[in-house]
Amino acid sequence: MNWLRLREMVRKELRQMFRDPRMARLVFISPIIQLVVFGYAVTTDVHNTPTYVVDLDQTQESRSLVATLTAGGYFRVVGRSDRPSDLRRVLDRGDALFGLEIPRGFASDLSQGQAVVQILVDGTSANTATTAQGYAVGIVNDFGSKAIPIRGTPSGVELRAQVWYNSNLESRVYNVPATAGIIILLMCLMLTSLSIVRERELGTLEQLMVSPLRPVELILGKTLPVVGVAMIDLLLVSLVATLWFGIPIRGSISLLVLSSLFYVVAGLGMGLLVSTISDTQQEAFMSMYLIFLPAMLLSGFMFPVSSMPEVFQKITLLNPIRYFLETLRSIFLKGAGISVLWPQVLALAVMGVVALGFATRRFRKRIG
Amino acid sequence: MPDAVQFAIDIQGLTRRFGDFTAVDHLTFQVKPGEIFGLLGPNGAGKTTAIKMLTGLLLPTEGSGRVAGLDMVTETEEIRGRIGYMSQLFSLYGDLTVEENVSLFAGLYGVTGSELRERKQWTLEMAGLADQGQKRTAELPLGWKQRLALGCAVLHKPDILFLDEPTSGVDPISRRRFWDLIYSLAEGGTTVLVSTHYMEEAEYCHRIALLNRGKLIALDQPAVLRESNPHPILELEADDVLKALTEVQKSPEVLDAVLFGRSVHVTVKDRESALQSLGPFLAASGVTVRSIEPVTPTLEDVVVSLVTAAGGARED
Amino acid sequence: MFGVDLYRLWAMARKEALQLRRDRRSLALAFVLPVLLVLIFGYAISWDVRDIPLAVVDQDRTQRSRALVEAFTSSGYFHLVPSPPTYEEADGWLERERARMVLILRPTFAARVESGRLAPVQALVDGADANTAAIALNYAQVIVGAYSARVAAELHGTALRQAPLTPQVRIWYNETLTSRNAIVPGLIAVVMMIIAAMLTSLTIAREWERGTMEQLAATPVHPLEVVLGKLIPYVVIGLIDVLMTLALGLLVFQVPFRGSMGFLLLSSLFFLLGAFGVGLFISASLRSQLLATQVSMLATYLPSFLLSGFAFDLTNMPRILQLLSLVIPARYFVVIIKGVFLKGIGLAVLWPELLAMAAFSVIGLGLAARSFHKDLE
Repeated sequence: MNWLRLREMVRKELRQMFRDPRMARLVFISPIIQLVVFGYAVTTDVHNTPTYVVDLDQTQESRSLVATLTAGGYFRVVGRSDRPSDLRRVLDRGDALFGLEIPRGFASDLSQGQAVVQILVDGTSANTATTAQGYAVGIVNDFGSKAIPIRGTPSGVELRAQVWYNSNLESRVYNVPATAGIIILLMCLMLTSLSIVRERELGTLEQLMVSPLRPVELILGKTLPVVGVAMIDLLLVSLVATLWFGIPIRGSISLLVLSSLFYVVAGLGMGLLVSTISDTQQEAFMSMYLIFLPAMLLSGFMFPVSSMPEVFQKITLLNPIRYFLETLRSIFLKGAGISVLWPQVLALAVMGVVALGFATRRFRKRIG
Repeated sequence: MPDAVQFAIDIQGLTRRFGDFTAVDHLTFQVKPGEIFGLLGPNGAGKTTAIKMLTGLLLPTEGSGRVAGLDMVTETEEIRGRIGYMSQLFSLYGDLTVEENVSLFAGLYGVTGSELRERKQWTLEMAGLADQGQKRTAELPLGWKQRLALGCAVLHKPDILFLDEPTSGVDPISRRRFWDLIYSLAEGGTTVLVSTHYMEEAEYCHRIALLNRGKLIALDQPAVLRESNPHPILELEADDVLKALTEVQKSPEVLDAVLFGRSVHVTVKDRESALQSLGPFLAASGVTVRSIEPVTPTLEDVVVSLVTAAGGARED
Repeated sequence: MFGVDLYRLWAMARKEALQLRRDRRSLALAFVLPVLLVLIFGYAISWDVRDIPLAVVDQDRTQRSRALVEAFTSSGYFHLVPSPPTYEEADGWLERERARMVLILRPTFAARVESGRLAPVQALVDGADANTAAIALNYAQVIVGAYSARVAAELHGTALRQAPLTPQVRIWYNETLTSRNAIVPGLIAVVMMIIAAMLTSLTIAREWERGTMEQLAATPVHPLEVVLGKLIPYVVIGLIDVLMTLALGLLVFQVPFRGSMGFLLLSSLFFLLGAFGVGLFISASLRSQLLATQVSMLATYLPSFLLSGFAFDLTNMPRILQLLSLVIPARYFVVIIKGVFLKGIGLAVLWPELLAMAAFSVIGLGLAARSFHKDLE
């Protein structure tokens, strides 16, 4: 390995990367913006679910029920009427995801301990339906037992739950770091996948091949600058996550940096590998586009890995995002250390090395 | 430490096939150090493929050779440090400046320190870009680009320089300047192997190898080649030049005919018999011939007739 | 109309179609990919949580306690982690991720149950993955509640006192709350978005780099003709893709289809035009293919997934984001597809969404034509 050649390659890559002033903005600012925007989007917490109320009773009790339902911030009344048929219209339209129908005579039924209310849930909503339903049932049951105090001592089996790491079960705490990881990977893939193919198409790759430049120097020359950029991006998004979103980091920062480094290298390696096996920029672009899709969907980010069929769970073992999300979750929320996370960190390191190795092998200094 | 180099380039039976297409067919020649050696031939003759094999970009299917005294196939990496290469298309980095490109290639070839400063200076001046170091190469006119590419190819003072149609698309004046540079490099001891399809450039070479359909069909000094015309050429002047062109090709004496200015150059099998028979032949077809005379063939004529004799150029 | 000559338009469209036909690879991708993607992901992803690793510390070890544990394992939602921890070890298990939930049954469990007193069951839940945790907790409560009722009936002969207020829950449109029904339609929409953006940004950039654009400029061709001509073959392909993925959804995934196919196809047409228009605009205005690909990635990929209502409900997001989602074409398409599949609604209800997508097409195409205009002049 010749350091002078490597240095010149790194210099060239950096110069090319930032020659277009728009690139700098794209590369450094867009991750921040993306995280801020998507950080708010990636929530599965039920919040202000639009609810339509049909109150046929119009008594103090019925109004009290509605008020209790909306008190917690889970539900928000977007309309009322006294016609049950309106419910169908409103839910069809999507103006509300939830409906509450209180029948006439509710108050008197309640005092006799036999009241019933209808809860209607829009089952097409992504995951709000299940959770919202649970909340609503809980709130209504609560209301009922408070309205008619229970006589005698409580009995039966009761579940007392203690939630660790995230007592409010705020999905954001997990999802925001995960989104950061996704954003970074996208950036890595973007920066590397066109890199080698571009040179091939423009003809400059040939000039490099004819020179004494070694394959490993070429690959490293393209990797190192992007690692630098990606790590800076990571720093930026971490700042956003902690300062803006207030996500706590309970674990070791150096472990975070180390696993991020391996993750970035794995991502870059994938991108470079794509670049070496594509003949045209078109192909590289499409390959990258298409690799990112399963990478994102089969990572455990939006859809839990444990819900996938066996075969897909096995496939996720090849996905660096999966391991990175696990390390993020553990480091941010659980304060886990290397003793717990060594399998993930190892997996990421291995992936990076293998991908880069393949890319180096594929770059033969010959054409045809 | 290679043996005393007798030839800068020495190839035997060099062949390259792509599937069942033979691009280069058993090429054999030797190039002496300091020589300007031209590869001439129509498109598809195999010139670029040959150069790519010599620079190690393609592996030969058959045959062997030595470049700078080193084996083409097994010692490619060592060869790369001693040769320079300029490809047909401009292959420097368009989005980098002149100086940045020079720094890059200097670094790749290990040119450092004071030698770097001196070579950089030399390259910029040679290319006429002394005060344009900060300009992006994509913005340079073609002639300047080519000179810069040449400069970058010789930063490390290679033994051998390979140029693949370096002046295609360049204006004649820039072309002249370019060749001045090649000459000065050759005088300095650099061997230059250059491919071209411009005839006047062929004349600038010490020796030229004529390729057609991958095969070597002639190899000699330009002057000698010119004399070796296998078929005589007659210059035909007529009133209706176009009709003359069409009609004369129907004669059995005629091998080929091309327009040359306002006359027709006719390649014939036998000079004497053609001189006698063509006039009446054309008159019988209604073409009035004003004069038919033998002419000294140009290199172009020779090349064309050699190529024709060898079966004509490849269609692609 | 708009200065468009239909004959020239046809010529442009035909050229594009011929080029496309020779590009076997792009063609194969354009047809095979959407189907493949929907097929794979339709199977792979769901929100149904199952097989949650559960560790049980049973200090009671009676028939009662074992019955409760049995209730958990037979539900299918939980699977018991082998060699459970001791009470002291329980804490560490969550941390070491050997289980997602730990149940602790104290030695007095059965005794309390039999004597009619309150018998608490402690559950430690790993809350890091909030979504799964909430669902797991929900399951657990349902299981415990059912167990409690069974025990009460057995011991006291009656069901547990009926609650004074009973909520009756009815799920509309997706009665079984099968997550696949909610996912697959949305998946079709986002996959189409991705494919559309990909195909169009390629076609323009490709044209630029070959220099054929300049040649076109010498002819009397109108920018709108260039744009529409490019689009027509792709729109046709896109519609075929939509049909194929719809077929997948109906036949393979058995998602109920209650609305009008015609309306859906019309919406797909507008959606494609809008998506293509945006893609064209991006690549036509950024002359560098490098930048065009990067911007198009950024502009279409993540937003289509995260802000379209596909994976995360829009209603849970802050108002600002809900407003932002209005500029994402995929959002409207997701609403329409889900509506047509599951709700059985059509033009009468969804006309605003259709209008929005039509607006997108017009704007996108217009912008694309404008950028061509500047270059062709």
